Amino acid sequence: MRHYEVMVILDPSLDERTVAPSLDTFLNVVRTSGGNVEKVDVWGRRRLSYEIAKHAEGIYAVVDVFCDPDAVKELDRQLGLNESVLRTKVLRREDTRTAVKA
Amino acid sequence: MSATSARRRNPKRKPNLLAREGVARVDWKDVGLLRKFLSDRGKIRSRRVTGLTPQQQRAVATAIKNAREMALLPYPTPAPRR
Repeated sequence: MRHYEVMVILDPSLDERTVAPSLDTFLNVVRTSGGNVEKVDVWGRRRLSYEIAKHAEGIYAVVDVFCDPDAVKELDRQLGLNESVLRTKVLRREDTRTAVKA
Repeated sequence: MSATSARRRNPKRKPNLLAREGVARVDWKDVGLLRKFLSDRGKIRSRRVTGLTPQQQRAVATAIKNAREMALLPYPTPAPRR
């Protein structure tokens, strides 16, 4: 189990209130695999530094997740398949907690 | 020995250890902090300017690159337009 940080940029035409629930359905992959969703932080609408797929802004969300590598990989894959997801980034977070061997 | 003295022309060496604004670890999501390490064209400032240690400079550089990928920071723009 490892600590990951997943950042997602979503289509700005979405309603910001629907973001958290829809993100939550994605995160079920993590939960069913025995992982833990530690924090979901929806930053909200933000200007992009450059255009992504013709969008000048995006809805940012950062998710802290504690799970197996396969689970994040699957989460990232599923996010990428969704049309309203402009971009994702998965990074390890080693600073906050040392990885537990399991 | 004389070779080193010839290169000593820095008026005030060690300009600023800017990352010592109380940040022990550079967070790639801290856009406000990372902005300070970019020139107005969006290039990463050199160590000579930032006065960081190699380790810090590397941490800042990777953080900026990660932030760029997520459109939090700009990529360098070619020329001063207009």
